[in-house]
Amino acid sequence: MDCCSELTYAIFVDGELAAEEARQVRNHLAACSRCREFVETLRAENRVLKAVLRELPEEAPGRQGLPWFRRSWVWGDLAAVATVLALGAAVSQWFEEQRVPEVLGWLNPFSSAGGMNLIFSLSYYFGHGGTAVLTRYADIVGWLSLLGLLGSSALLLGRRWRRSRSGLCLLTVLLALSLPSFALERRHSEFVTVAANETVDDSLVAAGNTVRIEGVVKGDLLAFGRTVEVSGTVKGDLLSWAQRTEVRGTVEGHIYTFSQSLDVGGQVGRSIYAWVQSLRVDDKGHVGDGIVVGAADVGLEGDVTRSVTVFAGSADVSGSIGRDLTMTGGNLTLANAARVGGNLTARVHQPKDVHIADGATIGGKRDIQIQVKKIRFAHPKFYFFQAVWLLAAMLVGWLGLVLFPGFFQGTAQAVGAGWRSAGLGLAVLVGAPVAMVVGGATLVGIPVALMLLAFYLAAIYLAKVWVGAFLGKILLKRATATTRDWLLGLLVGLLIITVAGFIPYAGGLIRFGVVCLGLGAFAWQLYHTSRPAATT
Amino acid sequence: MEPASNKAKGPRPGEGHGSRMEELELESVLELARGHDADALAELHRRYVRRVFGLCRYLLGSTETAEDATSEVFLKLQRSIDSYDGSVPFPSWLLRVAGNHCIDALRRKQRERQVIGEAEADPALLEVAGPGPSPLSEVISAEQQAEVRQAIARLPENYRVPLVLRYYSDLSYDSIAQRLGLKRDHVAVLLFRAKRELRRVLARERE
Repeated sequence: MDCCSELTYAIFVDGELAAEEARQVRNHLAACSRCREFVETLRAENRVLKAVLRELPEEAPGRQGLPWFRRSWVWGDLAAVATVLALGAAVSQWFEEQRVPEVLGWLNPFSSAGGMNLIFSLSYYFGHGGTAVLTRYADIVGWLSLLGLLGSSALLLGRRWRRSRSGLCLLTVLLALSLPSFALERRHSEFVTVAANETVDDSLVAAGNTVRIEGVVKGDLLAFGRTVEVSGTVKGDLLSWAQRTEVRGTVEGHIYTFSQSLDVGGQVGRSIYAWVQSLRVDDKGHVGDGIVVGAADVGLEGDVTRSVTVFAGSADVSGSIGRDLTMTGGNLTLANAARVGGNLTARVHQPKDVHIADGATIGGKRDIQIQVKKIRFAHPKFYFFQAVWLLAAMLVGWLGLVLFPGFFQGTAQAVGAGWRSAGLGLAVLVGAPVAMVVGGATLVGIPVALMLLAFYLAAIYLAKVWVGAFLGKILLKRATATTRDWLLGLLVGLLIITVAGFIPYAGGLIRFGVVCLGLGAFAWQLYHTSRPAATT
Repeated sequence: MEPASNKAKGPRPGEGHGSRMEELELESVLELARGHDADALAELHRRYVRRVFGLCRYLLGSTETAEDATSEVFLKLQRSIDSYDGSVPFPSWLLRVAGNHCIDALRRKQRERQVIGEAEADPALLEVAGPGPSPLSEVISAEQQAEVRQAIARLPENYRVPLVLRYYSDLSYDSIAQRLGLKRDHVAVLLFRAKRELRRVLARERE
């Protein structure tokens, strides 16, 4: 008999070879020292395997009797998070208590002025930065995120549905070809100016320290900068993100703005939608349609053809409003020159918060509603909505468990990876919108970006379900074999998350942490599930 | 092994806490457990939890899942202890229950794909044996043993499961094949490949 294969010897050593074959092997071994040596090695391997496996891998289950302290790292992490939250709460409380002189208010990031200042300063430095480096960096990160997302999606889908690979390839090629096809003119420098004698035929995207439009923009103007000034004409809409937006010229469309201050001293053809710290429409300002604004201070001295809806700390009206004025917030003052063509509705805390001068004209009804400031926890509605929220989350959790049991349970378990999940979740939370914006800038990319957005929002919603299920599991430490146990754990976890979310100062951070953890676990599980089974 | 061997599986010296239950022989504990005596069931848990956990840990790959599976196996034991007829030693029977539970869990986890796929042609299977050092046969120190355990834990499921069933649970090729729904020859091939993979990983780590 010739020497046998390695496989035959392996089976022989395991004692699983048929009797006749085993006899032949034994005969051969008696004559062949080379094979004898090999078989001895195989026997030694088996001995080692048995000995090695006799010892338990990593930790033993000795702590099963103490489920509350089983996962010491969880407590370590919770302690770290609690310390950070406590410190954060203490610092914010300290800041709140400080009586900072008003002129230095911008230094306090917890004051509204300071917060706004911080937001716009940061957005300016990150968006523009005074150097092209950050912009280039943002560009690269955006493109990489998009390509990464597209690539991983294609890989994922390709692995799951191999037949659809050709379609995916086509989609990828189309996307790749369409990426550079921007239909906008872009300008970026320290000072972006459209000179008085200049006309931009397309829409314009402008980013700079100062964006000044003295000429004509025939399309829309998307402006990002510290200061955005329109003294010329924008035929389309003005979208601005700036510390100060000023319109002295004409915007024939709408104004959509998120700025620290918006000053309108020119003509606005349609409406203003603004989220600002202060809005001022001066006596030369004219708004062709209406205004919807959320602001700390609002001053209306000019004309507004239709209705004005204001959510503000204080609003002063001395101009003309064609239709209704609806104000919700702190103080409302109508000066002698003020004129409201329709109804005046004010929702304030006290009657004295509304000052209407004798000379002011109000065409319709005056409806002053006093809103008693109630602690939301004392309101039954609050508990009703929380219960509805909880039930909805439970229902979603149950559906997820029934439809995708392995994936849902796996994701909940992946939350336990702690910092890995949180880090990954933060990256997804930040990276996905960037990828969507970059992707949405192309024609083919828009539906993909919209799908991604839906997916992203769903994942953010589901994050608390996964984290809740994980929390419930480690706290209850039930055998999670049944759906009922899993749902009970989920209920306990969601209750904890809900209550923790209302802790002053720390609540927001906790909710943010939950979203990060859940998103990270979801991304990890998605990656984990997409990995193909190892070939045999 | 005969049922009588159960008698030899009593508590080891030093394991007990002096209670009456710990001093009983396994057969007596089993008899009480069949009557759903809580102390007897707790005693079975104490005696075998480590072995069951070890099997679950090797098969399922994570401590958390293995702990859950161990709890579930002992819950299942409470319900099914009546079905133990003594034809095989109790530890083997219990490990078979645990192994089946883990295989079911793996199947549920990866419902869409077979836990263990079919064998493919592999020229190495037919290679004539040659002598040579094997990093797996030379494992002596505790560190080296830990290395092997880690390497086993990192093996793909389709290699790890048969390997653990064979060398931890001492199951025959036929039993493994039956549990995993495979042909006997395929089990042999998977075990062969699992060991080859272990050799490769260990050799690379020692370079």
